[in-house]
Amino acid sequence: MATWHRVADEAELKLDTPLGLRIGEVQIAVVRLDDGIFAVNDVCTHEYALLSEGFCEEGKLECPLHQACFDIRTGKALNEPAEVPVATYPTKVEGGAVYVQV
Amino acid sequence: MTRVVIIGAGQAGRRCAEALRERDAEATIILLGEEPHPPYDRPPLSKAVLLGTDPGNGLFVRAPEFYAEKRIDLRLNTRAAAIDVAARQVVTEAGERIGWDQLVLATGATARRLRIPGADDPRVMTLRTMADAEALKARLATRPRLAVVGGGLIGLEVAASARQLGCEVHVLEAADRLMARCVTPAISDRFAALHRDKGVALHLGCALTAIEPADGALLLQAGEARIAADLVVVGIGGVPNTALAEAAGIAVQDGILTDAQGRTGIPGIYAAGEVARLPHAFWDARPMRLEAWQVAQNQPVAVARAIAGEDAPYDEIPWHWTDQFHWNLQVLGDPDPAYRLVERAEGEKLTAIALDDQGRARGAVLINNGRDATPCRRLIAGGKALDAAALADIATPLRNFL
Ligand SMILES: Cc1cc2nc3c(=O)[nH]c(=O)nc-3n(C[C@H](O)[C@H](O)[C@H](O)COP(=O)(O)OP(=O)(O)OC[C@H]3O[C@@H](n4cnc5c(N)ncnc54)[C@H](O)[C@@H]3O)c2cc1C
Ligand code: FES
Repeated sequence: MATWHRVADEAELKLDTPLGLRIGEVQIAVVRLDDGIFAVNDVCTHEYALLSEGFCEEGKLECPLHQACFDIRTGKALNEPAEVPVATYPTKVEGGAVYVQV
Repeated sequence: MTRVVIIGAGQAGRRCAEALRERDAEATIILLGEEPHPPYDRPPLSKAVLLGTDPGNGLFVRAPEFYAEKRIDLRLNTRAAAIDVAARQVVTEAGERIGWDQLVLATGATARRLRIPGADDPRVMTLRTMADAEALKARLATRPRLAVVGGGLIGLEVAASARQLGCEVHVLEAADRLMARCVTPAISDRFAALHRDKGVALHLGCALTAIEPADGALLLQAGEARIAADLVVVGIGGVPNTALAEAAGIAVQDGILTDAQGRTGIPGIYAAGEVARLPHAFWDARPMRLEAWQVAQNQPVAVARAIAGEDAPYDEIPWHWTDQFHWNLQVLGDPDPAYRLVERAEGEKLTAIALDDQGRARGAVLINNGRDATPCRRLIAGGKALDAAALADIATPLRNFL
């Protein structure tokens, strides 16, 4: 059963500055974009690297290892060398806190 | 219908085949590879494969059925023995003649061998192919004392992997610092400290002169120094596989000489990947042969476009990386030691930007800081003069300088 987890204070999340965190076994990158807060699986689908340690702009997260880009809103792999999308997770803001559903 | 034959089913051969298929649904594409495996990328060989960890999608990037789906006629265990330019045919080792309208040479490189007494001992190995990696992995399982000859990228990756597997490891490097070909002295020093901290014995300024069998092991001689080892891995660079091209009358010079899009001097014949030496826009069209994943990944796409009749020179800002222990190093552009290096350090993370005498970024070195790769690439591409003092202030994000 997917449950909501509180992951951060809303004020903590700055624009285009990913927050990497772990919920149980799942590693997640939470990012504030200009149209809301989004969460994707933090592990690159190419080899192993955390996307939250990568460069972020224009709704894209770039893998710090080989620069594959992922769409933060849809999880889609946008360029080589990654081919497989990353999972996305629902988010919500309640009482000044950010929640992710995993 | 064009018939394209690609010799060499490595990363460059695969990239060329798939890029061609994207542009031409009709072409016959034949990919010849002497290795028994479908195309794979080599970077995991010295890291995940030796360590026995999961290389993810980074080794066999495509599933075996991909080639049939894309109607790429992949022929493994097939070595091209000659090119008959007049007849426009490739002759395989088995004697088969395969005709082509367009021919791509993606033959890559072979590990350079040591030319000193004793180097032919079977305990002296190199690492280039999957077969090499599997053989080395099997030997490392017995925890031998390992001597790595060459403190370059591959040598240091092997040293790091072997050390993580619990081997005693020595690295012998003839130069006075590590990775001297691709990073500045300050970065070499950081990596030397990392390796020493992990228990690797570094022997710098140490030119190996002979390897001698002794007491069931090997004794490495370098000047006065004697180093005992059970296994030796030689990592002293690669030699481009140009023999086929040379025999066919194609101009070679430590690589197959091509234009900026991989065309050789003979119409209809191209070179792709690490074997090609091409005029590089980043170095004002100086002919360069780069040994990096990036080149094998993207230059063959430029070749495919040339075959499809498009004008699209290969002009990326050079980039390569290495992983040693838990450190990731990325090198962009040309961080020549002659340039002024501006360091932005934060704990184990470092971004060092090389500025020329006019303050323009020409290169960058990142340690555990891949986040800065894209801004650095843009700074280099932008060619704008930068203020070194301001750039050194890590409180200012790099994107503010773009
Ligand atoms: C161990 C290792 C680790 C590396 N790690 C990194 C890294 O971390 N980062 C990075 O940027 N780069 C790295 N590289 C470099 C990168 O992998 C190479 O630059 C890249 O493999 C070049 O690809 P290529 O397809 O041009 O050549 P190759 O990979 O050499 O492929 C050429 C293929 O052609 C075949 N062939 C040759 N002659 C014939 C013939 N006559 N007939 C049929 N087939 C033939 C060969 O068997 C081979 O399979 C590494 C290289 C090695 C060896
Ligand atoms: S691990 Fe992310 S692109 Fe390679």
